[in-house]
Amino acid sequence: MRYRETKLGQKSLIVFYYLLPPITALLVVLVIWEICIRIWNTPIYIAPSPTAVFNRIFTDPIFFLSHGSVTLGEAMSGFILGATTAFLAALLMAHARFLERLLLPIAILIKVTPIVAVAPMFVIWFGFGMLPKVLIVGLITFFPVLINAIAGLKSVNSDTLDLFHSVNASNKEIFLKLRIPNALPYLFAAFRISIPLSVIGAVVGEWFSGDKGLGSVIMIAHSNLDMPTLFAAIIILGLTGIILTFISSYFESKLLFWSDTG
Amino acid sequence: MKREISVNINQTLLVCIILFILTIVPLGCMDRSDELDSIVFMAGYKPQANLPFIASYVAQEKGFFTVQNLNVEILHSSSGENIQLLMSGDVDITTADATTLLKRISEPGLPIKAFVLFGQDGQQAFITMADAEIQSPKDWEGLTFGYKFTVPPDYLAILKANQVDRSKINEVRVGFDPRILTEGKVDILSVFKSNEPDTINKFGFKVDIWDPSDYDIPSLGLTYIATEKTIQNNPEILRRFLKATMKAIEFIQNNPEEALDIVMKYAPDEDRDHQKYMMMTELEDGRSPLTTANGFGYMTDGQWRQLYSQLLEFGSLPNAFDYRDAFVNEFITSLYEGNQLVWP
Repeated sequence: MRYRETKLGQKSLIVFYYLLPPITALLVVLVIWEICIRIWNTPIYIAPSPTAVFNRIFTDPIFFLSHGSVTLGEAMSGFILGATTAFLAALLMAHARFLERLLLPIAILIKVTPIVAVAPMFVIWFGFGMLPKVLIVGLITFFPVLINAIAGLKSVNSDTLDLFHSVNASNKEIFLKLRIPNALPYLFAAFRISIPLSVIGAVVGEWFSGDKGLGSVIMIAHSNLDMPTLFAAIIILGLTGIILTFISSYFESKLLFWSDTG
Repeated sequence: MKREISVNINQTLLVCIILFILTIVPLGCMDRSDELDSIVFMAGYKPQANLPFIASYVAQEKGFFTVQNLNVEILHSSSGENIQLLMSGDVDITTADATTLLKRISEPGLPIKAFVLFGQDGQQAFITMADAEIQSPKDWEGLTFGYKFTVPPDYLAILKANQVDRSKINEVRVGFDPRILTEGKVDILSVFKSNEPDTINKFGFKVDIWDPSDYDIPSLGLTYIATEKTIQNNPEILRRFLKATMKAIEFIQNNPEEALDIVMKYAPDEDRDHQKYMMMTELEDGRSPLTTANGFGYMTDGQWRQLYSQLLEFGSLPNAFDYRDAFVNEFITSLYEGNQLVWP
């Protein structure tokens, strides 16, 4: 009984400590935003009030859910593609210096390429379905995972490595039992960067083609000066990014319970 | 001694007064911009040879604005924010095509009006590859149609006029890159008449152009627009701006190469031949029996009524309104005697 009370108290404390400050800050921002719009009597086509934006969301939630789910699907598919490719590339580069020298400049080239400039080409090359968007997300999420995975695979503790060698551990054992676990905190740190980027990548892809997804909604709302819809889509995107980051952090804490970051 | 000092002070004062006069008088003569009425014009896209844009460039460079006692700042919008800037008062005059103007009045109910019509025909057309051997819009059934933002009402009107079954056409938003057609991703592409057909020709492809006006579908092109407030409060400034730009149109018609030289000053990275194609296409679309009789830029109630009715029919206007709120003809008619521009 006492244990249960303590646990409940801890939960309340966590809610109070972690959730209350950001929620309060967000509410304050929304209230100031609403007051400014009302004081200056700003027309809705210049800037909408938060009440107009939330009214737009709640009058047609299915619209935003259906478009949001398309964007989420593209973002997650692209993230899985980009992260998997990056991890495999990192394995090769960590294994052979020559490959790192060969492939890293290409990876940097991909990183510095402005996605907005190449996204229209993707439509021409890959059509206007889901594929070009997934590829854009893959490109945008590739580099952070690659760099962190290389760092994680390489930066094993030399004493621990000596220990593995002293017990005649095979390369496979060193890889599976030392290098991979060592790389996991680095990978999750990369995911914290790549997951919000994946949402941005999907939106950029949707700007250039198709009529589904929140990027497409933003583009059309902008052309129609429909600011409540535009801001509503942005808010849904922001919430999606936050939820995905929380999910990633949750899995990190569960999988990396032994690590400082977990 | 005292007398010498007194003389020196007087001489110094005299020199100061002369210097003051010599400085102030020429400054007053040199800088006439203080006496000119200042306005801000924003072209609705990047610098290029759209006719309403060139009219402002030429009026600026040939001094027509100055003759009309105007100091005009020419700006360009790159991402379609020009109408919002017009509403916020940062811009006095901007460009918009007639369909967009009607849509924005319908929703979100902007108090804006056109005061001249450059495009007697709409800017929009549809293209197919010449080797696709499409004989009529009826052949569009079973094909893929690519549009820029939203399905254009002109397209729906063509389908209706030719009894085409819309459900048999795959419609996709494809943005602005015309290579989507040449690469075979779409079969029919929505384009600006004065732009993409020439670009695609330059790639080495031949295209067929499907112009809504060929099917007697009402469409209008680019206009200059201002807010109702500006029209009420500063009608004289708008009239002088319009007069200078109509003078520029005369100049462009008589001196197209020199007009192009001016365009290239504003758009140095653009291809001159393509700009010429754009300018000549829009000049052609700006002429009609109406403008021959009444002068360039003329518009009628009937033109706006027909366009409004069509947009309403195809669901492009969320809210009905009095179409006469969309335009004001007094400015353009006050500039001409018959079809001759009264200058200055």
